[in-house]
Amino acid sequence: MYKRNVPPMVYYGFLAVLYLFLGALLPASKATQQIYHLSGAEYHLLLFSVQLPLVLFWLPAFFGYIKLNEYASLIKKSPEGPPYQALARGLQWLAWGLAVPSIISLILNTIANSHPGFHAVSLIVGGYISLLFPLIAFNIISNGSHALAQRTKAIVQVNGAKSLLFIFAILGTIFCFATFRHIDLSHAGNSLNPYYLPTWLVVVSLVVPYLYAWFVGLLAAYQMLLLSRHTQGSLYRQAFQYMAAGLTLVIISLGVVECFRSVVPRSGHLSISAILIATYIFELISTGGFILISYGVTRLKKLEEV
Amino acid sequence: MATSPTTLYIQVVRITHVYLGPAADRFINRQIHNHLHKEPEKISPADLEGLIAWIRIAVSLITDNSELVEEYTNQLESLANRAADPKKNKRAL
Repeated sequence: MYKRNVPPMVYYGFLAVLYLFLGALLPASKATQQIYHLSGAEYHLLLFSVQLPLVLFWLPAFFGYIKLNEYASLIKKSPEGPPYQALARGLQWLAWGLAVPSIISLILNTIANSHPGFHAVSLIVGGYISLLFPLIAFNIISNGSHALAQRTKAIVQVNGAKSLLFIFAILGTIFCFATFRHIDLSHAGNSLNPYYLPTWLVVVSLVVPYLYAWFVGLLAAYQMLLLSRHTQGSLYRQAFQYMAAGLTLVIISLGVVECFRSVVPRSGHLSISAILIATYIFELISTGGFILISYGVTRLKKLEEV
Repeated sequence: MATSPTTLYIQVVRITHVYLGPAADRFINRQIHNHLHKEPEKISPADLEGLIAWIRIAVSLITDNSELVEEYTNQLESLANRAADPKKNKRAL
């Protein structure tokens, strides 16, 4: 996703500046201005106050994957190298997945604000892009954690698998309930819903992939926790536990954020709602996760540098 | 019979594995290469004293837990004593 000669933090800087710049430059949403009785300047100030925390949340995410990538490069010739490279690539997709869909949605929604006919396209494209990043990320992370677990012989236990399925069943049911209450289930071809897609297509191309991504993500989180208990070497294990705990927090919190975003698609209208606050809380938790990953990986790196 | 050089290296890695896990062999290889300027498999009992001193310094940089550093280096010193005294080593084996 990035060339070797460009430091990855430059990409963060570019994405952050681009996002804030677009927010300041693109025309204000008339609907939002009317709802909150805002002038153009007030709208942009409000948008900036919503964008700024998001941009700050991206920073530890980029820092976390860069640190993990550095560690994976240090041990690339060892048997653990490829699994760690997979984890780093997965985190990279998660970090980029925080930034890229936000920027694309901002652009598409601005176009849709001035061309109402484009509104459906904007929501559909934004929805699929939001799905794409965690789907790829959780899949790659799961491959990495599985490969590490196989090396440590940390096999998934029956009770662990049952707990995992129980958590997934609860989360999946809440997600399906929240999604389907917006949809006319009696007509599979009806696209009069917030997703602007026929019901059958919402199920096949959004609900099923999201559920798959979250299950794979939860499985990866469980395997990392299992590994953090079974991996050998007291000093190595301490560092690994920070990384595993961080990865688990990131997977769960970003899974919840994606759940909010899929249940309430990005409409393009700035809305200070409970969902926005909940999204921020979970993004903040994921930031804590990325910080834990960075801390754990820094300690792991130390083992390879002295 | 004296401890063969390969066995000695493997034994050092085995002790280190308890503390550094999968990073153990890379850690020991690095210490031997960088400080003793030897191939890891070619270390002899005479090299162990110097190696342990370097390992003590390196591990102290990794952790503040002095008890753990002591425990680890004590185990390596026991190995060094056994390696230096073939009779003891034979009994240990």
